[in-house]
Amino acid sequence: MASHYKIKIKNGEKLFYRFSVSQRIQHIILAVTVVLLVLTGMPLRFHDASWAPFLYALFGGIACAPIVHRVAGSTLLLLFVYHLAYLAYHIIRDDVRPLKQRGELTAISLFKLLLTQPLVPNLKDARDILDLLKYLLFLTHERPQGAKWTWKEKFDYWAPFWGMLIIGTSGLILWNEGLSARLFTGQVINYALIAHSDEALLAGLFLFIWHWYNVHFSISVFPMGTAFINGYLSEELMIEEHYEYYVEVMTECGFSRDIKPPHGYHSDAKVMQGEGEAI
Amino acid sequence: MNRLTEETWLGSPQPASRSKGNLNPLEGSDGSRAAGMGGSRAVVLLLFLMALFPIGSRAADVGNCLMCHKYPGLSLVAEDGALRLCYVNEENFNSSVHSKVTCQGCHTDVDKIPHDPAKKVDCLTQCHIDEPTTAKKFSHEHAERFLSQSVHSKYDPNGNLKEYAEDYPDCKGCHDNPLWRPMAFGTSQHAGMSESALGRCRVCHQSDEFIFRYYSHVTTRLHKIRNPKNIAEACGRCHNDPALVARHNLRTQAGISYNDSYHGKAASFLDERIPDCLDCHVRKGESVHQMLSRKNPRSITHADNKAQTCSSTDCHPNASAKLASYDVHAGFTLDKSPGQFYFTVFFIFLTGCTLLPLMAIIFLDLLRRLFPNLILRKRS
Repeated sequence: MASHYKIKIKNGEKLFYRFSVSQRIQHIILAVTVVLLVLTGMPLRFHDASWAPFLYALFGGIACAPIVHRVAGSTLLLLFVYHLAYLAYHIIRDDVRPLKQRGELTAISLFKLLLTQPLVPNLKDARDILDLLKYLLFLTHERPQGAKWTWKEKFDYWAPFWGMLIIGTSGLILWNEGLSARLFTGQVINYALIAHSDEALLAGLFLFIWHWYNVHFSISVFPMGTAFINGYLSEELMIEEHYEYYVEVMTECGFSRDIKPPHGYHSDAKVMQGEGEAI
Repeated sequence: MNRLTEETWLGSPQPASRSKGNLNPLEGSDGSRAAGMGGSRAVVLLLFLMALFPIGSRAADVGNCLMCHKYPGLSLVAEDGALRLCYVNEENFNSSVHSKVTCQGCHTDVDKIPHDPAKKVDCLTQCHIDEPTTAKKFSHEHAERFLSQSVHSKYDPNGNLKEYAEDYPDCKGCHDNPLWRPMAFGTSQHAGMSESALGRCRVCHQSDEFIFRYYSHVTTRLHKIRNPKNIAEACGRCHNDPALVARHNLRTQAGISYNDSYHGKAASFLDERIPDCLDCHVRKGESVHQMLSRKNPRSITHADNKAQTCSSTDCHPNASAKLASYDVHAGFTLDKSPGQFYFTVFFIFLTGCTLLPLMAIIFLDLLRRLFPNLILRKRS
């Protein structure tokens, strides 16, 4: 059924499948529109800043930049709606329908099914965060052994999800001020303005600090992770971030003899530790 | 120097207003700038201004005042310690609404050269121009009369001097010598003069000076004479002053809260399609000097009239009456708008609680990679 291999071997290197073509296209649309929205939105938020008029002028100033902002915003909202449909389609096709065919579809089993969707946070994520802290605070050499989707990726997924709900809704309210005042009250526009601009700042900072650190600037991936373009992750990064899933896939594909040890078990680390003990 | 401290200005703003920022966008190119410029840049500026106003309009300098005042460096230190430029940029002055008025028309007490310290200009002086519709001597008494009926009057309705009367503006509190801001209509509407329109004028009229003045007089008033950003700054000179706002028990630092609204944000990018202070606070068709308190039932910002003001044809024509409950001058203070204050605080916390832990993890991650083999606890 799957139109891809979980492991692709290219020039003797193993590559691990991560994202489908559709997901990659969705991500690129998301990335381009968000950057456009930030560039045309932040000059308004920080309209007194010295750089604001220059950046705004780059997008045609007050006569044009708002149009760019609305086009990008509309595109992003359409993508969001598409993504919800895409999500529903896949859950129904891959999970709900088989359940129905087996005659096991009840409210409880459906609820359980939704809770065990790949990107829903679970206890393993909480354990991984604690393990990561232990590792980062020099208490252990072992990195948490991540599953297929780690808590970082879930965070990266749900943060824009929440952001799009808040920023998208408030953006629509601000765009259609007459209609929203008729539906609600004029005060709603005050709150929408706060929510839109504050949540946008949070989303922007989150992306450019956290997401970009993880996929661009971190020493492991610098200068740029390529999974968002070609859909595959290298063996090195699989071991570092998704060790549990790595072992699972390697075994499944018949490479169980080639499984490498997790990072942190380097022989030199043991030597160093031995020396430390000796001293 | 003391002899000169009462020196006043020709065609230049009050020194006090200069220190607080220019009112007029074109004003920046007058004396204070030109004085600091090298010769070649001044020539470029002159050429630029000549290009802007291609038709020479020369007010006759009958008093020969420019003999001294044409020098860009002419200045003095006033009693309050401020440097005052006494330079008059002839090009700028000739492009201003007062260009037909002689120096002595306003500086009435200057009658010889060199002159004694001059008194401050009184804008209510009857000047030597006839108002063409009445053929009477012109003065600004009308504006003063409107002002005295407005919320900005120094006197209350019973004719008693208000508390803190000195805070209320006189003419020069809001105005300097405005430059013409003529407008051209062609395929689009923009600032400048339409050569084709001037050509039509020249069919009958011979004096280019007359044509320039008449054209400018009319078209300057067909659009905003100052852009909204300038208006907000002018009003803000008093209305952003926290002490004054507290003294008069005003609801908001109006210029600042305006700047934070979408109207103000657009104004800061020099949009002129959006409302400035005057658009919402003065009834269309009335002199802007008739500004009223929002508590006055005749005011268009009064609760009963607000909806109509917002839904005017040029603004939000499809808006319902509920749009007027939008808080244009919302300030993020606990006592004035608690709901919005807490809403903002929520987002500040959300931002902090999301980003700070993540940034800490990034920092620790960098540190961990710097010492990959260090360990604080022995493995059992």
